[in-house]
Amino acid sequence: MNVEDIISSGLLELYVAGLASEAEKQQVNTWRKQYPEVEIELQAIEIALEKYAFAHAVAPAASVKEKLIEKINFQPVDTTTPVFDINENKRKKTSTVFWKWGFAASVILFLGSLLLNLKFYNHSKKAEADLKSTKQKLESVVAQTKVLKEDIAVIQNKYTMAVSLSAQPTMPGATAKIYWITNTGEVMVDASNLPDAPAGKQYQFWAIVDGKPVSGGLLITNNKGMKIRMQKMKSFGSADAFAISLENEGGNPTPTKVVSMGAVSKI
Amino acid sequence: MSSIQKYTEDELVRLLQSRNREAFSYLYNNYSGALHGIIVRLTDNNVLAEDILQEVFLKIWNNISSYDATKGRLFTWMMKIARNLTIDTFRSKGYKKQQKIVTDENFVSNYNDGTSNEKFDSIGISKNLAVLKPEQRLIIDMAYFGGYTQEEISKQTGLPLGTVKTRMRAAILQLRKLLT
Repeated sequence: MNVEDIISSGLLELYVAGLASEAEKQQVNTWRKQYPEVEIELQAIEIALEKYAFAHAVAPAASVKEKLIEKINFQPVDTTTPVFDINENKRKKTSTVFWKWGFAASVILFLGSLLLNLKFYNHSKKAEADLKSTKQKLESVVAQTKVLKEDIAVIQNKYTMAVSLSAQPTMPGATAKIYWITNTGEVMVDASNLPDAPAGKQYQFWAIVDGKPVSGGLLITNNKGMKIRMQKMKSFGSADAFAISLENEGGNPTPTKVVSMGAVSKI
Repeated sequence: MSSIQKYTEDELVRLLQSRNREAFSYLYNNYSGALHGIIVRLTDNNVLAEDILQEVFLKIWNNISSYDATKGRLFTWMMKIARNLTIDTFRSKGYKKQQKIVTDENFVSNYNDGTSNEKFDSIGISKNLAVLKPEQRLIIDMAYFGGYTQEEISKQTGLPLGTVKTRMRAAILQLRKLLT
């Protein structure tokens, strides 16, 4: 069917007037897209009927327009649903989402804090232990320092006279130092250089006063594995020399085996 | 066509779709008369017609986004809304039996006695319409305004189906000649 035939068929008039069947409507819809002439013809028919309707126009009362303007919602919302409901739904949705995320966030925070707590707890445990061991170390250092201070005080004392005892052929390497505080007569022995006494034997300290050995007490060289540095002996007002001998445990009234000896230098 | 053309049809539709208040006012001022005329002819009751007209404009406003210009002119679309809403009102309300029958009779009788022509003499253009044969006008009115099917027109007028078709085409061709 060519365009002229379509236009003269009378179908377009029926179509616009609303008398076409469904099949005919489909046909015309296809044609109007296909042929611009058909579209123009349809428009012309529509305009003719439109003018016909305008020719029969009847003006409605002015109140109709006023009522209409009141009823019409000029807001740019293309729905009959009240605006309030839309907002309500949106808010509910947002708030549900908020609580969901809020819950998730709080769980994460809780787990995070749990981990941190555990970490901090371990840290504090370790710190506590460290502190304890440090305290112990410090205490022992303080104690050592106190001993050393006392030792140094002895050495620094202006009345102190140092006497070096030299090893005798009976025991090579058996040296010791004597600190004799001349104004008080106190005698300190640094026996740290003496070899450990053999089992069943003990060192004994002697002062040679007027050519005769006088016992100054027994020496301890080993106290549970620790070397004793300075040991306080009996006091002597005067002495020519000092000596250390190796005796059977418990000591002896007279020295039997002198291992180290030194004379007091006379000023 | 009453007032000065301010918008093209495309512009008007676009403005209505963006819910422009002035465009609605323009639409009402320009088309309410023609649409009301159709409703009045179908109802023969001015008060009822005005109620329906209001509903028609509300429906136009709320459904303007569904108007498709490729399927016909704006007035054709609005006219169908007016027609269908009027027929629906008849069907849903108590008017049903009484008014529909009255309308049917009016369509046939008005054109036979020829009195209705005088109604439109005040509108210049209507004089030209008098040149249309009453049976041509009847067939246009029943189909275009009344939404009657070919079979219904055939039944109402007693014309064979084929005659309804040829008379329809002849009537519209005559109308075009008169109005353009």
